[in-house]
Amino acid sequence: MTTPSPFDHRPDPELGAALRAVLSGGDDRAFAQRVVAAAEGQLGARPADWVDQLVRWARPGLAAALVLMAGAAIWLGGQRTAESGNLADPLRMADDGLAVPALLASTTDPDVDVVLAVALGN
Amino acid sequence: MQDAELAALAQAGDRDAFGTLVLRYAGQARRVARAILGNSDDGDDAAQDGFLAALRHLGRYDPTRPFGPWLLRIVANAANDRRRRRKVRTAEPIPPAARSTDPAPDAATDRAAFRGEFEAALATLPERQRLAVVLFDVEGYPHEEIAELLGVPSGTVRSDVFHARRALRAALAKWRDWREETA
Repeated sequence: MTTPSPFDHRPDPELGAALRAVLSGGDDRAFAQRVVAAAEGQLGARPADWVDQLVRWARPGLAAALVLMAGAAIWLGGQRTAESGNLADPLRMADDGLAVPALLASTTDPDVDVVLAVALGN
Repeated sequence: MQDAELAALAQAGDRDAFGTLVLRYAGQARRVARAILGNSDDGDDAAQDGFLAALRHLGRYDPTRPFGPWLLRIVANAANDRRRRRKVRTAEPIPPAARSTDPAPDAATDRAAFRGEFEAALATLPERQRLAVVLFDVEGYPHEEIAELLGVPSGTVRSDVFHARRALRAALAKWRDWREETA
């Protein structure tokens, strides 16, 4: 056997094999299965966390969406009423100074109240 | 698949990717832990601790660097933690009779005798020398990576490998002489 040199940069195969024989043991595959089983909690926790997080965010999100939708529906309903009232509400038309042309263009008989309102307004 | 890709998948919770990484490094991790603790069962427990700790801290792994030294450093730390915790227990090698299940008694006796001698020689080495020689001569890591793993200069690793080799080769020679005499 030759004396090892501190400058020997190559691994010693005989010593390596002896050390491997002493330090190795058991089935690596079985060991790996045991480690993965022990890690199940850590590995499984991640997707579950995501699901929980999504569920937590979904509840207030849905509630907020419902409130927004209800608000939008009310606002849109109000808009439609206002739009349809522009021509049907003679009192408002009198304020705008458009009552007379509207009365003249109307094909139906004007209501007495409307005529009075236009007259008083003018 | 490369270690860095497997590490990224394992970090995202991929069981198979983590299993592949563990299987790839099981041998190295177990040998390193056993070299520190001198006991197979404790070594395996420490190696497992190391793998679980590595999984928890995969976010800190730099994928541009080799995975092995990063992992083995964590395993070595886990083994040291376990050794500190088990102060009462000693690192006695398992009695050869309890280990051997080989049907050929002569071969089994020889192996047991060799293991006993060699384990005793290994146990006399300082921990850093044990790790250095295992990482260099068994796992094939270069001095520079071992130096980084152990947190010492590369020259210190060369010196540790040299001293460890000298002691272990002496044990090997002694065992060979004994075998020739008994034959």
